[in-house]
Amino acid sequence: MSETVLDAPTVNGYFKGYAQREAYDEMFDRDMRPRPHYEVLYQRLQGLPPEEFRRRKAMTDLSMLQEGVGFTVYRQEEGIERVWPMDPVPRIIPASEWKIIESGLVQRLTTLNLFLKDLYHDQFILRDRIIDPRLIYEGGYFRREFMGAKVPRDIYVHICGTDLIRDENGQYLVLEDNCRTPSGVSYMLTNRQVLKRVFPLIFEQYGVRATDDYPAALLDVLKYIAPRGNPDPTVVLLTPGIYNSAYFEHSYLAMRMGINLVEGRDLVVDQNCVWMRTTRGLRRVDVIYRRIDDDFLDPLTFRSDSMLGVPGLVNVYRAGQVALANSIGTGIADDKGIYPFVPDMIRYYLKQEPILASVETFRPVVKSQLSHILANLDKLVVKTVNESGGYGMLIGPASTAAQQAEFADKVRAHPRDFIAQPTVPLSQHPTYVDGQLEGRHVDLRPFILCGEKITVVPGALTRVALPRGSLVVNSSQGGGSKDTWVLADDGEKVS
Amino acid sequence: MLSRVADALFWMSRYLERAEHLARLLDVSFHLELDLRGVSARPAEQLAHSLSVILQQPTPELNGHASGPLAGLGHWFTFEASNPACIMGCLTRARMNARGVRGNISSAMWRELNKLYWQLKDPEFASRASESPHDFYQAVECGSLLFQGVCDATMTRDEGWQFIQLGKYLERADKTLRILDVRYHMLQNLQNPMDLPLSNLQWAAVLRSCRAYEAYQRTYVGRVDPERVVEFLLLHESFPRSVRFCLEQSARALAAIEADADQNARQADRLLGRVISDLKFVEHDQLQPGRLHEFLGGLLDRCTRASVALQSQYALR
Repeated sequence: MSETVLDAPTVNGYFKGYAQREAYDEMFDRDMRPRPHYEVLYQRLQGLPPEEFRRRKAMTDLSMLQEGVGFTVYRQEEGIERVWPMDPVPRIIPASEWKIIESGLVQRLTTLNLFLKDLYHDQFILRDRIIDPRLIYEGGYFRREFMGAKVPRDIYVHICGTDLIRDENGQYLVLEDNCRTPSGVSYMLTNRQVLKRVFPLIFEQYGVRATDDYPAALLDVLKYIAPRGNPDPTVVLLTPGIYNSAYFEHSYLAMRMGINLVEGRDLVVDQNCVWMRTTRGLRRVDVIYRRIDDDFLDPLTFRSDSMLGVPGLVNVYRAGQVALANSIGTGIADDKGIYPFVPDMIRYYLKQEPILASVETFRPVVKSQLSHILANLDKLVVKTVNESGGYGMLIGPASTAAQQAEFADKVRAHPRDFIAQPTVPLSQHPTYVDGQLEGRHVDLRPFILCGEKITVVPGALTRVALPRGSLVVNSSQGGGSKDTWVLADDGEKVS
Repeated sequence: MLSRVADALFWMSRYLERAEHLARLLDVSFHLELDLRGVSARPAEQLAHSLSVILQQPTPELNGHASGPLAGLGHWFTFEASNPACIMGCLTRARMNARGVRGNISSAMWRELNKLYWQLKDPEFASRASESPHDFYQAVECGSLLFQGVCDATMTRDEGWQFIQLGKYLERADKTLRILDVRYHMLQNLQNPMDLPLSNLQWAAVLRSCRAYEAYQRTYVGRVDPERVVEFLLLHESFPRSVRFCLEQSARALAAIEADADQNARQADRLLGRVISDLKFVEHDQLQPGRLHEFLGGLLDRCTRASVALQSQYALR
């Protein structure tokens, strides 16, 4: 392998015409000098002959295809399988930055779990008027069926994926939490496997912290919540099946944890226990890592037309005979209408100041904020509170007058269903585009696990918006991903 | 093990074996057709007929004017989307089944199967099927063999592995039986000494369709003798594609799965055991031209019944 280093680095080579706009650039400072922790990567990439770089890029694409890493859009029996493109240029986070992110995320998830416990029991936070009860009861994901139910170890959100972005100054901001069935961790893990093969020599130069322990840590969490403290519980992962867009992740995690990947039809409720159908008859199930939304989980409790769930499951859960991760009704914690109140929750439950800042948020339910939103639709991002995946959004600066008018009507009609935020120019990162490196916007999704204690895997999924200038990083909207290197130090000592 | 998983492993293995078999059969048949053009009348029609009987599929509408062996027939048995039993159809289903149980097979197995699928899906590579069919069919066969090798090298000998073996060997026995039955029926008229070279060619092709030519040659030197071919493919104790070997392996896999099952529930086991003893203790005259078809038909029928019994026993499909 020829990764020769050029003697005299210039901003030519792959970075010819590299443009910085108002967004923060992950690799370069404003004078186009590589930041210290990017220095080695920068040199190495510049030293790579174009043909070689192209070959490495092709190698990443091929690996992703052959491993079957991707999401699926099914039309016919064969289906259309799209590989989620991975950019070969890694994103690097120095230890000092990670430390802040990590403690901020631990603080946040601790709070959200306290909030959910409070909400489904005593509701002190509503009585103390920190949050308007109407916001809760009008929220689409509050499950009143679940009031007063005791959940194992009082943990509601065991697996959380929180999206972070960086503003113009490089400050990390929380964009949203994903407290229901966050996905993407399998890409974090496979990206690393692929990148280590594609750029072994560059990887070797950095002290990158390993992410590979995630499946084992997840299994520990799942075992920790087993009913009756069973030390050797049967844990399964419940998937909607191969037609689900995240099926790759479901099977990947089940395989890495060595647990059964089950579908609703494999499970049956009998004598207030959950069983799975095996070649040797029924076998008791203790813990279910479910990747099916609340709505489809149990046709007897939620949507009666669901074919994916298990009739009677919720009742067994309430009786404490099976554990679910995540718990039911956690969606109210990542409701975008509740999001602006998380800093207040942190102060209320922990008596601490939030470590990670949030994005300034305007709520149409407040009269004065509604008029501000309507007057500034061309500058703000308007989001539907219960949508994800980049759907149901208006990006003001990129929208037409007709779209703005449409959203103005919707916001006036259903103020609880929307929030508005200033357009944050997500930080940009060099990304391989047609033989050149160009700046593309990125976000960051670390994964947080809550079992005996709260842990954050030292790594994350970096999603990148591949179309030039796009701020939408979702896989369904032309996004790709990057391997994310969390360093054991600040990356300055490496040579 | 989940019943659904057992089912998927069984069919993954069966469909892949079927695709491999089909590829080899087509490869051998097209070679044979080229050889026969000089010596036999209407070889393409004969070929189409025997393929459709072996594969239990209707004869495709053949375009008589098309050039090259693959013009109609090859496409029909290889790619034709409306023919679910074509090679790509089998492979697609093998892969679908594997996708549903990725957690129960090794990642290396999945990778090989997925690689094969995408290789054959690649339009550039697929176009080779008409220009150089051998390359294409070879790729299918190698892909399947590689998968089986990786499977044996990476999988624990647990219940899942046993279901994979069951799928593989039951399919293989079934296909060997069908080839023998059909080809014997078609070739039994080649008794005239004048037909000897032709007979030799045809029977060698039968052996090649089961990758048994070399093994046969090492056992019996000289011209290919129809009676010996039948004996070899039916009764050989250790050739991995003989019917007896396949069924004994199936029975072993079944025994491992049923180690602690109720004696009364073992219907598949009983059926297989009886077929095996019929093979072991076969009378010589049962293999004679007049009675062979009946004998083979009986075997095929019971193999199918064993497979059905197996599926209801384990609540497979």
